[in-house]
Amino acid sequence: MLVRKLFRTAWSYKAQFISMIIMITLGMGVFLGFNMEWRTIEADTGSFFDDTAYADYRLYSEKGFTADDLKKIAAIDGVDAATRYLTVNLDIKGEKNKSLALDVSEDFNVSTFIVTDGAAYDENGDGFWLSDKFAAANDYAIGDTLTLEFQGIGITGRIVGLIKSGEHMICVADKNQLMPDYNTYGFAYISPKKLRSAVEEKVRNTAADKLKKQGIPDSAVDDSVDKLLKDGTMVDEAMDQVFAQVNVLSDMSKEDLEDTVRDALGRTIMVTSKDDHVVYKEAMGEAAEGKTMGSVLPVLFLAIAILTMVTTMHRIATKEKLQIGTLKALGFKNRRILRHYTSYGLFIGLVGTGLGVALGYWICKLVMSEDGMMGTYFDMPDWSVAIPTFCYFVIIGTVALLTLISYLSVRRQLKGTAADALRPYTPKKMRKVFLERFRFWDKMRFGTKWNIRDLSRHKSRSAMTLVGIIGCMVLMVGGLGMRDTLAGFLDLLDNDISAYTTKVNLVDNADKTQALALADEIDGDWESLTGISFEGETVALDVVHNPNGLINIINEDNEPITLSDEGVYLCLRLKDKAQIGDTIEFSPYGSSETYKAEVIGYNRSIMTESITMSDRLAEKLGIDYTLTAIYSDKTAGEIKGSDLIAGKQDKGQLMDTFDSFVQIMDSMVIILVIAAVILGIVVLYNLGLMSYVERSRELATLKVLGFRNRDIGKLLISQNIWLTVIGVIIGLPAGVGVLRWLVIALAGEYEMKLMLGWLTYSVSILLTFGVSLLVSLMVARKNKKIDMVEALKGAE
Amino acid sequence: MSIVKFDNVTKIYTSGDHELKALNKVSFTLDEGRFVVILGPSGAGKSTLLNLLGGLDSPSEGTITVNGKDISTLSDNELADYRAATVGFVFQFYNLIPTLTVYENVELVLEISENALDAKQMIEEVGLTDHLHNFPAELSGGEQQRISIARALAKNPKILLCDEPTGALDSETGVMVLKLLLSMAKNYGKTIVIVTHNQSIAKMADIVIRVKNGKIRSVEEQKNPMSADEVEW
Repeated sequence: MLVRKLFRTAWSYKAQFISMIIMITLGMGVFLGFNMEWRTIEADTGSFFDDTAYADYRLYSEKGFTADDLKKIAAIDGVDAATRYLTVNLDIKGEKNKSLALDVSEDFNVSTFIVTDGAAYDENGDGFWLSDKFAAANDYAIGDTLTLEFQGIGITGRIVGLIKSGEHMICVADKNQLMPDYNTYGFAYISPKKLRSAVEEKVRNTAADKLKKQGIPDSAVDDSVDKLLKDGTMVDEAMDQVFAQVNVLSDMSKEDLEDTVRDALGRTIMVTSKDDHVVYKEAMGEAAEGKTMGSVLPVLFLAIAILTMVTTMHRIATKEKLQIGTLKALGFKNRRILRHYTSYGLFIGLVGTGLGVALGYWICKLVMSEDGMMGTYFDMPDWSVAIPTFCYFVIIGTVALLTLISYLSVRRQLKGTAADALRPYTPKKMRKVFLERFRFWDKMRFGTKWNIRDLSRHKSRSAMTLVGIIGCMVLMVGGLGMRDTLAGFLDLLDNDISAYTTKVNLVDNADKTQALALADEIDGDWESLTGISFEGETVALDVVHNPNGLINIINEDNEPITLSDEGVYLCLRLKDKAQIGDTIEFSPYGSSETYKAEVIGYNRSIMTESITMSDRLAEKLGIDYTLTAIYSDKTAGEIKGSDLIAGKQDKGQLMDTFDSFVQIMDSMVIILVIAAVILGIVVLYNLGLMSYVERSRELATLKVLGFRNRDIGKLLISQNIWLTVIGVIIGLPAGVGVLRWLVIALAGEYEMKLMLGWLTYSVSILLTFGVSLLVSLMVARKNKKIDMVEALKGAE
Repeated sequence: MSIVKFDNVTKIYTSGDHELKALNKVSFTLDEGRFVVILGPSGAGKSTLLNLLGGLDSPSEGTITVNGKDISTLSDNELADYRAATVGFVFQFYNLIPTLTVYENVELVLEISENALDAKQMIEEVGLTDHLHNFPAELSGGEQQRISIARALAKNPKILLCDEPTGALDSETGVMVLKLLLSMAKNYGKTIVIVTHNQSIAKMADIVIRVKNGKIRSVEEQKNPMSADEVEW
């Protein structure tokens, strides 16, 4: 029987029940959605990295690694597997603006791939295993022929398989590209045998040219070359140089590996851990970003949902007091009554969290699925949703907490005898409010006094309404502000930092003299990015030469800096490592040299965590560096091809890669703003209704006295408007604060400056007021239906 | 001169398929300045009668004329104006606004009434000047009812409508409140209509209207009504 009563009571409080269920669903959904998102990134990328033996460490040597070097490295106790590795960006012959990273893993036990279609890997194979996403974007199919331009020769072969690889899970050409663009860039693997034949061709050509220059007649050249290459030493040596990288699977610490490798090879080798590799770093960065996002806004949602539950359950329990008394008088034991009313909380908890889990799954899928927002960013085979363990506790805990809330609300009403319970609920005694001490109080209109006293009499309701409005405001300012900040960041990158037309990426270890000549030829500015060790961290040393102002270094206030030759600039992420005037020490990888320089300023580095200096200072300090990129005002077509050039990037093209990033951000903002509006409507409507019901007797009295519906409506609306004004005044700075915190928390990846446009302020304020006004009107409309006769019957 | 005229008034309440005829073709007239008691057991229709007269509800059939104006077809807003200008209510449970002080509760009617009387003076007349700044919850039942009378009269209405005004009070306080009600109505020349099931109050009335099963049983004019002190409670 009491079960029937549960459903009928739920129906009679349908607005409250529905709003509590919506709040719990929303709170739970957003909380789970955000937390499942980062956990799914960790789990799915993790298993993909495992499946493709993603390298823990990458060892670099300019001279390359010999087969003997590899043996020594593989033999180190603590190294599980190692392979000589090549990854190099190559243009596709016959295609405009399309390039591939060509990878070769000599011992196919580290840095491998999985085949999604076509032939399995064969270490003697002659074909290409091509990125399936690149193939799909460019209409390549198994059986098609590809030619890549490699050091002046062409590597030609058929596509034999379509693949995905952990090494290229985020397929970007360099650190400055934010999002993959499979229309222009992908990756492919070939077998070491195929690489060897390409290298042999190159060695053969070089040797033949040399012989021809020495005057050997053409007819004899081939034979001579055959003889030279017969024992394979020349090709072996060339292969050693090509393999400038060794990829290692190991659980050792970076320092231990560095030391043991140095001991084994007798020279210092640059070791970078996967934490510094763009793919792993970005993937973990995404997960960390998700964690950060998941720890603020969704928690706010869940907290508001639970607080709403507390207020509403208390109101329902007090409204049900007479029924509780009746049940008690009828002879129902306290335990039975408690169980009955407690089941309300359980019911709301189960339905709300159940729907919340579904919503959370949907939100997570919206981000983390092949067609979702991350689908364009991550290229991985498995997108199954994972949930952090603590979320199970949160789910169970929330249901338990909601049940407890209704238990406590009812227990309060059950105290004392049946007769006590039967006595109607007496609201708190009215006390004078603080403002009444002032003269102006007497001058105020009755409506104002009435509303002020009502707010102070129902403090928890007023506070909850405020929390709802502040929450709504924070979400909107946070969401829209995030978008402003990103837009500002892109604007900065596009206009203030990059004034060039084309970025020319140079090949690894490009000859410095030739590179400088090329820079001169195309009137370019240039930079050199190299890995250095600073305070135990791997950061970039950015040597910049920018007399043409095509690439700019900017300070904290986004103003350009003219690089001084007196010292170095630390990027903002390194700000806490040294103060201006301090002398810092750093050493380039693969070198035992240590350099000292004075810190003379800080700069905002968009992408890399770096120390910046002018080329003149680098010369003065005697730092040996090679150019990595030249920035020119010429278009890509005007710049002639050269062995030095690994690729040319149009600035517009580079900026386009941000588009999908912006789209992801837009979708997030839309979710947040919709959530904010729903939150606002539900909380305000629920509380507005509660306040209306609580005051229905007073409202009926006013109506009987002769107040018109509109006058009474105005009273109700004005209370909400005041609360909204206060909520907006608090919510605006709170939103900016949350945003500031988020920007700082996310600064590990990008050094963004908090930017908020006037549109964000006005949209947030207008939407919040709109929501508040809409809800007030919805509630105020009800007063037309107020039953004067009914409301006046009972005693207060 | 007649101030109230009920002409063939019927009020039907429907809930679902069920119809309840609360008043059935009721007709009567009341003269200005009289003290009228509407008497009847619960469910007789007396509260319906008061609600219709007070403009809280509209009749299903028939016309009600008050002060020369047909109120049976007024809109919501017109009814509100009618209540503001023409009638004052005194309820069984006082219905004061708990968040307003004694003074503010009376002063409240200045917001809607064009020819309202001075709030302080009204409170003085009901003898509660000492409690001007108290909240209703700080007063006894009798005191609250006195404030409710002050509020009703402060509007300066033509008619004072009282629904079981002593129903929630002990008899001693009830007598006191009734005396006050009558003397003030007399001083200000108001018509009083009291709805009650208390036979004793009826003995004090100029006119007693008995209602049963939605119909008027009798309208009786008492030549020599008793004073509150004479009535046996």
